[in-house]
Amino acid sequence: MELTQFIQNVLNGVSIGSVYAIFALGYTLIFSILGIINFAHGAVFTLGAYFTYTLAVGQFGINGLLKNVDLFPNGSPLGSSVPGFVLALLIGSVLAGLVGVVIERLAFRPLRSRGADPLLALVSSLGVALVLVNLIQYLVGAEIYSFPADVYGNLKPALVLHVGEKLVVIRTVQIIIFVVSMIMLIILGYLISRTKIGKALRAVAENPGTSSLLGISVDRYVLYTFFLSGFLGGLAGTLVATSFGIAGPYFGVTYGLKGLAVIVLGGLGSIPGAVVGGIVIGLAEAFVPAEYSAYKEAVAFALLFVILLVRPQGLLGRALVQKV
Amino acid sequence: MTALLEIDHLSVNYGAIQAVRDLSLRVEEGEVVTLIGANGAGKTTTLRAVSRLLRPREGSVRFAGRDVTRAAPDEVVRLGIAQSPEGRQVLARQSVEDNLELGAYVRGDRAGVQDDIRRMYERFPRLGERRHQLAGTLSGGEQQMLAIARALMSRPKLLLLDEPSLGLAPIIVLEIFNIIRELNEQGVTILLVEQNAKLAMNSSHRTYVLEAGQVTFSGASAELVSDERVLKAYLGG
Repeated sequence: MELTQFIQNVLNGVSIGSVYAIFALGYTLIFSILGIINFAHGAVFTLGAYFTYTLAVGQFGINGLLKNVDLFPNGSPLGSSVPGFVLALLIGSVLAGLVGVVIERLAFRPLRSRGADPLLALVSSLGVALVLVNLIQYLVGAEIYSFPADVYGNLKPALVLHVGEKLVVIRTVQIIIFVVSMIMLIILGYLISRTKIGKALRAVAENPGTSSLLGISVDRYVLYTFFLSGFLGGLAGTLVATSFGIAGPYFGVTYGLKGLAVIVLGGLGSIPGAVVGGIVIGLAEAFVPAEYSAYKEAVAFALLFVILLVRPQGLLGRALVQKV
Repeated sequence: MTALLEIDHLSVNYGAIQAVRDLSLRVEEGEVVTLIGANGAGKTTTLRAVSRLLRPREGSVRFAGRDVTRAAPDEVVRLGIAQSPEGRQVLARQSVEDNLELGAYVRGDRAGVQDDIRRMYERFPRLGERRHQLAGTLSGGEQQMLAIARALMSRPKLLLLDEPSLGLAPIIVLEIFNIIRELNEQGVTILLVEQNAKLAMNSSHRTYVLEAGQVTFSGASAELVSDERVLKAYLGG
C-alpha cells in the first residue's frame, strides 16, 4: 500500500472511529451502572439525527403524518447560521437524552423495581427500539434526509494535503466530527473522574447498596446515566448524519450493532475500552479496499471475533468481572 | 434524656422469611448501645431497616422525633444517620480520599468537608499516608477505619456500626474499640452490632440481646455482661 493511501485510511478511520467511540460510550455508561445492554441505543442515535434535522431544516418529504410539512416557511431560525446549527445540534442531543430518561422510566425501572431478570430488560429495550423506529416511519416516512451542505458554514469542503506527488483529502466534515467527538470525550472524562457527580456515578456503578448508605440516590444517578447515554447517542447520530445523511428510520440499526461490537471489543463496561474499540473498528473499516466496501460491516465483526478468541474480556476489559 | 432513635414493633421480612419480628429498641442521645446475638438473629437486618435499605413490614422507626419509616435512604443520611456496613464495603476502585469525599456526599460545604478530611487523616494517620491509594488495596483494618471515617464524614448524629471487628487481628480489634470509645466521648451516639459480645458490652452503656429476630434480654451492659443466661448463650460460658 502506498504511503498516501495509508495516511488517507488512517485519517478516515480515526474520524469515523471517534464518533463510534462516543456512541459506544452510551452503551458503556448504562452497562457499568446496571449491567445490561440498552438495545434502544441505536434508535436514540436515529432520533437524535431526526431531532436536529427537524430543528435545523424543518422540511419533510411526501410520506408519513408530517408529509409536506414545512415547519419554518422562511427557513429555520436555527439552521440558517452556524451558531444556529450548533444550537440545533445541542438541543437535538438534549432531546435524545430526555428520550433516554423516558426509556429508563418506562422500560427499565419497572422491571428493576420488581427484581426482574436482566434478560427481560434486554427484551424490553429491544421492544422500545422497534416502537421508536416505527414511530419515526409513521411520522416522516422512510425517506432519506440530507442536511444542507453549509450547516457548518461556508467552509472549504475538504482539506487537501500534498504528500510528495500524491494527495491526501480530508473532508471538512470529517475534521468536525473528530474535533466534536474529542471535545465530548474530554468533557466526559473530566466529568467522570474529577467531579462529585462523576465520583458518585462510579460509586453507584461499583456498589449501589453502599452508595445508598452514603446518601447517594441510586435511582437519580441511573436517570443521569440514561440522559448522558441518550445525549451521546443523539450527538453521534447527528454527526454521522451531517456526513452521510439520514438513511431512513433504520439509520441507527447498523450503528447500533457496530456500537455493540465496539464495547465488546474494548471490554464491557470499560470507558477507555469503548474509545479504543471505536477507533480500532473505525480503522479496520477504513482499510477495507474500496471494491469490497460492501463488506465493511463484516470486517468489524470478523475483527471482533478474532480478538475475542485471543482476549475474551476484550482489549481493556477486566479479566475478572466483578459485579456486586 | 430524649431518645434519638426509637424503633417500635419492627418486623422485616426477606421474602417469606421473617428476619426481625416485633422488635423495639431505643438509643438515647450520647449512648453506645450494643446489639448482640447469634448469626441470623436479625442484627444486620435491623440496621439495614434503619438505613432504609430494607422496607419494614410493620412497625415504625423514629429519629430525633421524626418518623423515618418510609423515608428515602438518602433522606435518612441527610437527617443524620450514617452506617459503616458489615464487610466494610469500601469503594475499592476509588481512592481513599474519594471514599471520604463521597462520605460527605450529602453536605454542601466544600471547605468544611476538606477540613474534616484533614481531621480524619489526623485521627487515622494510616489513611492519610494512603490517601491516593485505591481503597481496595488497603488491609482489612485500614478498610475498617476508612469505613468508619467515611461514615463520620456526613457528620452524623447517630453512627450505625455493623460488625466493625469482623475478620480483624485482635490488636486491630482493640484499636477499633478505642476509636469507638473516643468517638462517643466526643459526642457521637453509636448503635453497635457485634459478634465479639464481651468486648462490645464492655464498650457500651446498654445492650440488647437478639434471638431469632426478637429481643430476649436488654439492660445495662455492665449488668448483662455478668448475667448467667447471657454468659451461657453468647459468651461461651
